[in-house]
Amino acid sequence: MAGINLKLTWRIRLLIVSLAIAFAGIFLYSPLLLLAIFLIGLIYILLGIFLKNDYYDLIFLSFMILLVLFATIPAFLQDGVSIKSVDSNSTAMEQGFTQGEIIVSINNEKIESLEDYTQLITSIYPSEEPIKTVFKTSSGNEIIYFSSEAPKIVVAEISKTNIKTGLDLSGGSRALVKAENRSLTQAEVRDLVDVISNRLNVYGIADMAIAPVSDLSGENFMLVEIAGTTPDDLRDLIGQQGKFEAKIGNETVFVGGADNGIASVGTSGQQAGIRECDQAQDGTHYCNFQFTIYLTQQAAERHARITSELEVNRTQQGNYLSEKLDLYVDGTLLDSLLISEGLKGQVTTQISISGSGQGETREDAITNTEKDMKHLQTILKTGSLPYKLEIVKLDTISPTLGKEFIRSILIAGVAALFAISLVIFFRYRNIKSVLALLLTSISEIIIILGISSLFNVNFDLPAIAGVLATIGTGIDSQIIVLDETHSKVQLSIKQKIKRAFKIILGAYFTALVALLPLIWAGAGLLKGFAITTIIGISIGVLITRPAFTDIIKKIEE
Amino acid sequence: MAINLKQKAIRFHDKYYKHLLLIPIIILILVFIQLGMTYSSTGEFFKKDISLTGGTTATISIPANQEQLELELSDKLDGVETRTIYDLITREQKAIIIQTKSSAEETRQVLEEYFQTELTEENSSFEFTGASLSESFFKQLLIAIGIAFLFMAIVVFILFRNFVPSLAVIISAFADIMMTLGLVNLLGMEMSTAGIVAFLMLIGYSVDTDILLTTHCLKRSEGGINKRIFTAFKTGITMTLTSILALGFALAIVSSFSIVLSKIFLILLIGLGFDILNTWITNVSILKWHLNKKSKE
Repeated sequence: MAGINLKLTWRIRLLIVSLAIAFAGIFLYSPLLLLAIFLIGLIYILLGIFLKNDYYDLIFLSFMILLVLFATIPAFLQDGVSIKSVDSNSTAMEQGFTQGEIIVSINNEKIESLEDYTQLITSIYPSEEPIKTVFKTSSGNEIIYFSSEAPKIVVAEISKTNIKTGLDLSGGSRALVKAENRSLTQAEVRDLVDVISNRLNVYGIADMAIAPVSDLSGENFMLVEIAGTTPDDLRDLIGQQGKFEAKIGNETVFVGGADNGIASVGTSGQQAGIRECDQAQDGTHYCNFQFTIYLTQQAAERHARITSELEVNRTQQGNYLSEKLDLYVDGTLLDSLLISEGLKGQVTTQISISGSGQGETREDAITNTEKDMKHLQTILKTGSLPYKLEIVKLDTISPTLGKEFIRSILIAGVAALFAISLVIFFRYRNIKSVLALLLTSISEIIIILGISSLFNVNFDLPAIAGVLATIGTGIDSQIIVLDETHSKVQLSIKQKIKRAFKIILGAYFTALVALLPLIWAGAGLLKGFAITTIIGISIGVLITRPAFTDIIKKIEE
Repeated sequence: MAINLKQKAIRFHDKYYKHLLLIPIIILILVFIQLGMTYSSTGEFFKKDISLTGGTTATISIPANQEQLELELSDKLDGVETRTIYDLITREQKAIIIQTKSSAEETRQVLEEYFQTELTEENSSFEFTGASLSESFFKQLLIAIGIAFLFMAIVVFILFRNFVPSLAVIISAFADIMMTLGLVNLLGMEMSTAGIVAFLMLIGYSVDTDILLTTHCLKRSEGGINKRIFTAFKTGITMTLTSILALGFALAIVSSFSIVLSKIFLILLIGLGFDILNTWITNVSILKWHLNKKSKE
């Protein structure tokens, strides 16, 4: 090995360390090891400035490679499915399923993929009688699940990397919401975000991000992003004012929300559920739901006062008060409930709410009724907004096409790099230059991916366009470096490279400032493109191209 | 022989470089006429697609006959356009994309009727943008382009601290954008948000070669002007050709599955083509004119 002169410059070392950190960022799950790699990298670069030993790089590099391998290989070996979300108030939640855990086996059968999981679960559930099933997780937990229905959890294949793909690649939904016919202040949007987060939480959606955003013209929006399965009634959940009113005649007895007369809402067991299902004359099925709500003392007294003034109608079905309790959601009548005679003038805090849902089949009817009930409960719990909402953008993206897309993008990328290599080879007739150029471009991609994994940035379609833009700019400046170093001017290579960098920096700054306005334009929907490109070209100027020039210097010497 | 040709070319350029400026000027005039005509007939400088006017894009992964679908839908939905997505290798139909100005619910209903099945997450994607948002989006992107251009101009001025050469760079970047816009219009392409992003990228790319050229001519001392221009040309044309080739390859692949990316690539491709003209004729001629005038003084 003595023949190999592996003395590297600090710029090349910086590139290597950056690559190691990027790799760790993409594949590693332990922050501690990441810190170790970072510190060792730092020592490697700093010590390298003073130490002039032929074997320094060799020793340190072998060590680095081993460390990165040691740190990243476990991620590749992990099998199982990860729990993306657990339905709140479900048996699954009560019995200990938690989001983020990885299920490795069910009843001692190994789970290696999503298919394994679905196959096994559908073979067990639903069952006539409650069945005991043992789930083992990667952390060693054992969950003993006992039910006749499959656990209400959403699972997904474990991703081998930390790259968070955006909604347009992995599926999910995204909505941009504003107030109808008016602008919201920043404080109002923050309140809106709170209310809607609460609503979605109560509804049982776990994997979501809601944030206030604003655009160049100062308009404020609420951006809702939900990964994975999109709830059918998302539009209502995020776009509804959610004004619930219970009226007797023209008088309001109580409205939705914890501060407005409702102390609590029953959601399970005896307190809530589907009461009966039947078939209507036109063949459609319908079901009735019923759940209990508890009023505050104040609302209960109001109820007593209003009912005490009503008369009693005596009918064959029973004795009811002359007015009904009308339930309105956002101004539309949802249901009218007969009030039984016994409640007249009574201070009662417990009220039963009912409604119904329909469907083509009995099953449909049940699903729809359950949904309607859950929806109403959500509104009753979370209360209403002081203004109407308008959904200005709503995307629901299927996860199936995303995979296809990533594959095609990879092919396109490889094809483009191949084309570039061809041109460079024919122009310079030097395979080493081609390799150096490819190496640099690939390093840039890896470091961009590493940075977005480390900082939890969503990698979406605009970000991919950003990566492409980065590579394009990168190749351009590498050509400048190649041409400058090959020029016949009587200057040292160092001076030639300095000249090249003047041009590269000029191009860098023009590209940088041109991208800045895009960060804020259009409610940040193109931010991914702007940020990725800015990160990419900055890495280029700061890390990869200096290293590239040193590699070229070594080739030329 | 080769030297002879080179010298002939140099002699030709020395004599006619000012006349060469007529080429971009004529093209620009044609572009302005074209834009003016589009504006007077439609009230807009270019056609906008639904990402800028508002509407729904539905991606359905159920096999269907595109033509028949479009025919059937155009009665029921507003401004329908369809497109098929193929697998790269097997050419198997992967999905069909429907763009319409109608709302997402309306589109879903009509499509469910057509396909006779429920559209779920597994077989469909829906993207809806409201008209008001699209409009403000469009305005902001135009502002973003304006600011980007202004920032770029400022950086160029700081970089060279020399009025005419800086202006030459800015003029060629401007000409580049206008000519690309003209051709995009002429081809009947509709502008989308992705398209506008492509124009933004174009500002960065087209300025690259101009900066290269200007740096060579202003900040280098070796050789005459022609020699410096030629050195810059060799590097610059390699840069542009590599980009064009890479984009061409990428476009050929993405055109079958991504409307967004193919639009970006196609606009960049056109832009880079015009960049050759604008850097090596527009910018070179103005710069040479300026430098020759200065050396005479």
